[in-house]
Amino acid sequence: MELTQDQLIKLYTLMVRTRKCDELIVNALKSGKAIGFFHSGQGSEAVPIGACTFNLRDDDYLYPHHRGHGIGYMLARGLSPKPFVASHMGRVAQDVEGPTARERGIHGGSGTIGASFVLSAGMGITAKKNGKNQITACFFGDGSANRGTLHEAMNLASVWKLPIVWVCENNLYAQYMPLKDSMAREDIADLASGYNMPGVIVDGQDVLAVHEAVKAAVDRARAGEGPSLVECKTYRYRGHSEGGPDISHYEPRPAKELEEWKKRDPIKLFRENLLQQGVLTDADVERIDKEIEAEAETLEKYADECPIPKPEDPSVLDRLLYAE
Amino acid sequence: MKEIRFVQAINEALEEELSRDEKVYIIGEDVQAGTFGVSTGLVHKFGPERIMDTPLSETVIAGAAVGSAMTGYRPVAEFMFADFMYVAGDEIFAKAAKWRFIHGGTVELPLVFMASMGGYAKLGAEHSQSPESMFMHTPGLKLVVPSTPYDAKGLMKSAIRDNNPVVYLFHKRLLGLKGEIPEEEYVVPLGQADIKREGTDVTVVATGMMVQFALKVAEELKEKVSVEVIDPRTLEPLDIDTIIESVKKTGRAIVVDEDTKRCGVASEIMAQIMELAFDYLDAPIQRIAAANYPIPGGFMEDYVLPQTKDIKAAIEAIAD
Ligand SMILES: Cc1ncc(C[n+]2csc(CCOP(=O)(O)OP(=O)(O)O)c2C)c(N)n1
Ligand SMILES: [Mg+2]
Repeated sequence: MELTQDQLIKLYTLMVRTRKCDELIVNALKSGKAIGFFHSGQGSEAVPIGACTFNLRDDDYLYPHHRGHGIGYMLARGLSPKPFVASHMGRVAQDVEGPTARERGIHGGSGTIGASFVLSAGMGITAKKNGKNQITACFFGDGSANRGTLHEAMNLASVWKLPIVWVCENNLYAQYMPLKDSMAREDIADLASGYNMPGVIVDGQDVLAVHEAVKAAVDRARAGEGPSLVECKTYRYRGHSEGGPDISHYEPRPAKELEEWKKRDPIKLFRENLLQQGVLTDADVERIDKEIEAEAETLEKYADECPIPKPEDPSVLDRLLYAE
Repeated sequence: MKEIRFVQAINEALEEELSRDEKVYIIGEDVQAGTFGVSTGLVHKFGPERIMDTPLSETVIAGAAVGSAMTGYRPVAEFMFADFMYVAGDEIFAKAAKWRFIHGGTVELPLVFMASMGGYAKLGAEHSQSPESMFMHTPGLKLVVPSTPYDAKGLMKSAIRDNNPVVYLFHKRLLGLKGEIPEEEYVVPLGQADIKREGTDVTVVATGMMVQFALKVAEELKEKVSVEVIDPRTLEPLDIDTIIESVKKTGRAIVVDEDTKRCGVASEIMAQIMELAFDYLDAPIQRIAAANYPIPGGFMEDYVLPQTKDIKAAIEAIAD
């Protein structure tokens, strides 16, 4: 099925929104408004948006990759960015409209990298057992592919033909570790043959290519033919985490590398494509930018007004600890 | 003497031991850069063969340290966050801790498992834990939790020279703390507590960041209560004698622990005081520790982790 013009514009808009929300947190950390960590996903927006926006059913399970703290995945699933923004400021989101993350199959992310594989295997078991023809999409980084959990989960998923789509966001680095020094091969897609499943490599800067490749994998999983692996080649523009160095081992990452990748910026590439095809005009582009800029300003003001949690009675935590 | 930060103190200890013994090496994720700075710069002097950046693979970091230690090397395995040590549970709690015992004492495991620990940085449940009690609970592991730059350096040197697996946890919020250390080489032996402040009314036992909390409170209360602060420095071996001596003098004891209260380090130390000094106690022993919850993200961590005001209130109450 070809994507309609509206769908193409939606993909574009979602990528721009993802970038904007990411920038918002980067700036809020700089100004001291945000707290904790942030791992920017700038440069890789085509992966979550291309993979998730039109390929998944509302009830499919999705394990987001940690970059951008999952904002691309949330937006692609139609979730409000309010909780994302508020929580990075240490605040409790108020008046959130639209579906919750749980209602769109997102059940959180792990502080320990690599939990994604095994938890997704479990979601795959659920999807296979419950007869609803759901699938599970698991997103992970090149670095996390070196956790042993990958092997255990991919093997199990293949043996049991679980309906799982494994999508790697290969940005060539894991914190300060370049891929070339942490893997004896260049392509993560090669792993697939070890588990007797299809493995494809896709240009992670091309949102339509990501969409297509993941669509094929989703269709296969939904047809009961088992898991597949899609590797998206991409890059992260910023350092591993805000406030930290931007290095490879202990030296600055090559400036040329960043320059080259920025020439293939996923938003820029798609915009040029849509302008050329006449799907978008320059005026459209400007309007979209303005709307998203305005949304970001509203979000920031909104977050300022959300309350900092202060339990009158700390035993409210009990409700979080155990179910009834 | 010279003034030095906590992070530099560990760095110096690593550098000295790497120079002293070519069997010593560091293995872990991003150790060449040094995520927390403790191993930063060492690669320039010792090269990537001894400051080994690994893939994101904690299981093999821990397991390879065990395998290499039992065959003649002295690895310092780095886990970045202590929370990530859980990934290598079998390698740490079964292989490192038990291998010598189950092989009739024929194996030596001279290795260090090093990681940052602790909260107060708003990093949430999986980057803030204080897992001391798990290590202290496990026979076969030694456990070092330094609270000052002096101890951080001297204890790291002892940990590397020890012929057993030593877990070395440095608090991420102490790394900038300044303190004096001698110009010349020194070590701090494992198993010797330090009286960080002398006092006569109340004994406060604490490790790591909690020592700094206790010292702050002791200073604030000095006109009212004379507080003695004891830092065991290593929890295994535990210098219980120094603690008991202090309790016999003061008759009152508070144990402060950043870890979860239930079955925590404080519970163990408290139990030992009860066994050994019950007749000397003038009041029930108090435990100040984290509430029995995971550490919440953001500002909510204040409601779970122990705070200086809690220590202050406990001292005032017990001294009353
Ligand atoms: C078990 C575990 N080890 C290490 C870390 C620290 N850490 C967080 S993200 C990261 C790099 C992950 O690399 P990759 O999977 O390639 O994802 P990327 O960040 O590059 O998108 C590391 C080392 C962690 N959170 N959990
Ligand atoms: Mg990566």
